[in-house]
Amino acid sequence: MPKIVLDGKEIEFSQGQTIIEAAKAAGIIIPHFCWHPKLSVSGNCRVCLVEIEKSPKLAIACSTIASDGMIVSSMSDKAVAARNAVMEFLLINHPLDCPICDEAGECKLQDYAYTHSTGESRFTEEKVHKDKRVPIGPRVMFDAERCISCSRCIRFCDEIAKDPELTFVQRGDRVTIVTYPGSELDNPYSMNVVDICPVGALTNRDFRFKARVWELSSTESICIGCARGCNTEIWVRNNEVLRLTPRLNEEVNSYWMCDHGRIDTFKFVNDDSRVDGPFLRHKDKLIRAGWDEALSKAVSTLKQYTKEEIAFIASPYVTCEDNYLFARFAKSVIGSKNIDFMRHIDPTFGDDILRREDKTPNSKGAELVGAIPAKGGLSFDGIMTGIKSGRIKALYIIEDDIVSAKPELEDILSKLDLLIVHSTNFNKTTELADYVFPSSTYTAKNGVFVNFQGRAQRIRPAASTIEQDRALDGMNLSRLDKFGTPFDSWANSKQRDARATWRIIQALMQIYGIKPKYSIAEDIFIDIAKNIEAFKGLNYEILGDLGVKLKTAKPELV
Amino acid sequence: MSLLQLIGITAVKILIIFTMMMLTVSYLVYFERKISAWAQNRLGPNRVGWYGLLQPFADVFKLALKEDIVPTNANKPIHTLAPVIALFVAFTTYAVIPFGPDISLFGITIPLVVADVNIGILYVLALSSLGVYAITLAGWSSGSKYSLLGGIRSSAQMISYEVSMGFSVAGVLLFAGSLRPAAIVLSQHGWMWNALLQPIGFITFVVSAFAETNRLPFDLPEAEPELVGGFHTEYSSMKFAGFFLAEYANMIIASALIVTLYLGGWQVPYIESIGLPAGLVIAIQIISFFAKIAFLLFFFIWVRWSIPRFRYDQLMSLGWKVMFPLSLINIVWVAGLIMIFRL
Amino acid sequence: MSLRRRKKDLTFWEKIYIPEIVKGLALTLKTMFKPKYTVEYPEVKFIPPASYRGRPVLVMEENGKERCVACGLCSRVCPPLAIFVQAAETPDEKERYPVKFEINMIRCIFCGFCEDVCPEEAIVMSKDYELAFSSREEAIYGKDKLLTPIKQVQDRINFLRQYK
Repeated sequence: MPKIVLDGKEIEFSQGQTIIEAAKAAGIIIPHFCWHPKLSVSGNCRVCLVEIEKSPKLAIACSTIASDGMIVSSMSDKAVAARNAVMEFLLINHPLDCPICDEAGECKLQDYAYTHSTGESRFTEEKVHKDKRVPIGPRVMFDAERCISCSRCIRFCDEIAKDPELTFVQRGDRVTIVTYPGSELDNPYSMNVVDICPVGALTNRDFRFKARVWELSSTESICIGCARGCNTEIWVRNNEVLRLTPRLNEEVNSYWMCDHGRIDTFKFVNDDSRVDGPFLRHKDKLIRAGWDEALSKAVSTLKQYTKEEIAFIASPYVTCEDNYLFARFAKSVIGSKNIDFMRHIDPTFGDDILRREDKTPNSKGAELVGAIPAKGGLSFDGIMTGIKSGRIKALYIIEDDIVSAKPELEDILSKLDLLIVHSTNFNKTTELADYVFPSSTYTAKNGVFVNFQGRAQRIRPAASTIEQDRALDGMNLSRLDKFGTPFDSWANSKQRDARATWRIIQALMQIYGIKPKYSIAEDIFIDIAKNIEAFKGLNYEILGDLGVKLKTAKPELV
Repeated sequence: MSLLQLIGITAVKILIIFTMMMLTVSYLVYFERKISAWAQNRLGPNRVGWYGLLQPFADVFKLALKEDIVPTNANKPIHTLAPVIALFVAFTTYAVIPFGPDISLFGITIPLVVADVNIGILYVLALSSLGVYAITLAGWSSGSKYSLLGGIRSSAQMISYEVSMGFSVAGVLLFAGSLRPAAIVLSQHGWMWNALLQPIGFITFVVSAFAETNRLPFDLPEAEPELVGGFHTEYSSMKFAGFFLAEYANMIIASALIVTLYLGGWQVPYIESIGLPAGLVIAIQIISFFAKIAFLLFFFIWVRWSIPRFRYDQLMSLGWKVMFPLSLINIVWVAGLIMIFRL
Repeated sequence: MSLRRRKKDLTFWEKIYIPEIVKGLALTLKTMFKPKYTVEYPEVKFIPPASYRGRPVLVMEENGKERCVACGLCSRVCPPLAIFVQAAETPDEKERYPVKFEINMIRCIFCGFCEDVCPEEAIVMSKDYELAFSSREEAIYGKDKLLTPIKQVQDRINFLRQYK
């Protein structure tokens, strides 16, 4: 392997790598603004200047190809002086409006101003003024003054989103970014430019001014927008999910996620339509009930039907643990063979970047853990015709709003004698239900999703329900969570009376006299790993942050 | 003078003295607070009544309304008895202090003293030593370490200073040749005040009086910073008020005693020879007695707000190594005076 | 071993003690006749100098709007977490304003860090020291109580400009 010496340290590299890539591979980050590992090199920010021995001038590390025996210094007086000078130039026209800028706290320019700048400006003249608050796209806000013209966003649209929309216009200190005439920054991946923008020039319109980033806690999770299962971070303040950002996973989503996943998959968590506590139908109205009452009444009503008259609809939106226990409840406790789940396929949604036609995060997992009809059992369509013909009298649905997905099901479901629904929010399906159990959302529980590649990935609780305590349950804490008391308006958010679906199923099973002893979600996963071939030998620790690709991804028939 | 008259007159005298004592005590508290304020550039109580003059009543009212707390592991009877002893001793001592010459009213000669006992001084010494029991018992019965320490300190202090006090008084007795307070007062006619004749005895007596009344700089049994109030830490409401009143009553006793023994009692030098009407003379004499007491009370308070508290070992060494020898020297001095001048 | 000597050994007259007592008594007696420092509070009010750190207030410009841009620095720097700011967008030039600004006066320790860190001179310590509440809710001061016309805090702002 060829070697270069960087700051006195010998590092190996593979042929063709630039200095900055070689350094990154060795764990050394050379300061950079415009360079991004997934984008082409443009070399215009000049902050990665390094000194190379025997080279007359400083060179930019991002576009200089490493060659064997090169002696590179990023810490030499010359390199440091050059970096300070570049920083001073960049800051000349930067408005320094950090107090109103959403990027503050996670801003590369801010960080570098501390680490690589003298902290003094010699510029006393009037700064150049450009447009502020430009709605450059439906989901992205642009501030031309803050822009340091690194062109990351332009390259992203060209190279990753494959939808060129942005370009530079003008020259010198008047240079600015605009969309091509007649277009806006509205590609399905447009919000990634917010993440890669090293300053606050491009900001998230949805998250705009909602919170300062240092007030939030972040929790590693998985996007539920489609079967891709992009790795994400959930950002929470005062138990309210405020934004999602992508998390690097080269096997799944790299640095990116789509706008749909970013803004459409968490709003329902904070919504007022959340089911808060169990509800029973009483004279055509859903009435709030206690847990014990709702559970025991649900069981005694279920007992009035034979096992052939009951059918179960599992959900591709919930975790493997939930589906596994639900399938066990259907198959071994009730003895029904009729269990399936609805596929949410949208051919218009998929593309060849990240999005998949299957708009659910865990349909693969639901199949693997047995939420599919047993031999001789009815499939989803079979169950629906069974209801129409009157063969199926009772239906149990978990966390899937099938009526909204297929409005024609409303008439069919209204024929049922008994409909039990687990739901996070009130929706068209719960309108028909006799029992509604509140289930906690994917932001409030542990579990595993299996994406379309057959990759098992973990979700973790980020926002708490009434049964959780952020500190005691080991959830990630923000500073406000740590020090807040019930008397502080910023720490006493409403916690809903909801439970993970597997907990509700377990409570029902206990009334049936079966006592599964799962105290945490991982207990179920260990059970799954024991019983189902695809998950053999796995546990949460092995899944880790980035997940594990399953050996087989074929469902077994149980 | 019939027995009935005697009882009646005595009862009236007791009533007058008791009322005066109570009033003086309450206003003494007021003045204590006022003078301390003045000495610290403050105003002092000025909200209740005109210039805060109703403050003592407000204080008493407040104390009376307070909950009476007795600690669980206190010895209840003794805990209750202690403030009673303190008050009893403080008030009864006053019986033998003459506050004016004999007066004639409706043909009856009335001595201006409740009980003209011929061993009055002995009586005072005996009762004032009893006072320490109140404090020691209070300290012991409270069942608290701080209180106990306060009580123990009090008894040790009392024993140490009783000695020099007794010896100082001996000097006075040598001059007067009587234990009767009235006789002692009369023996200091003209400028023959004991304070002038035996200054060393006067100083030792005053210092001992401070120690006996537990006033600063000798308030070790209370010593707020160290003992959190000492013997009365565990007292509240009217029991606490009892101790409080007793302390100030003791101050009056001590002042009256100093006046009687050293400052010529009710006498004003040579006032009889000016030729004023007899009634006026007597009035002036009574007033002079109270004026002397008033000055001494001021002096008590003044000292309290000027001088810091002694350390315990300093207190003991002062008592035994300084006050005791000085009072012995005083006796020799007095004896010498008597020998030389045939007084 | 030599005996530890005191720095200042007492002279004979000091050892006698009486003259020292007399000196002390004279001092207190003299003090008794000096003018008093007491301020009779509810009737006479203490008006603090500009350096005084009373309750923090938000500066209200002449147009009736707050200067604050809701950057949240005061909230971040506040050692007892007394300040809560919720930002929102405004059509004004400053883009951002506090839709909610709460100071929990039970938490506040009057350290003045908020004022120190404020980039807009928007939060300053006032001269108001009269704070009393009968419930926790009452102690949470919202924008209604915090907004103070700039005239009332001008001397504090001048002080800060001079010494900050």
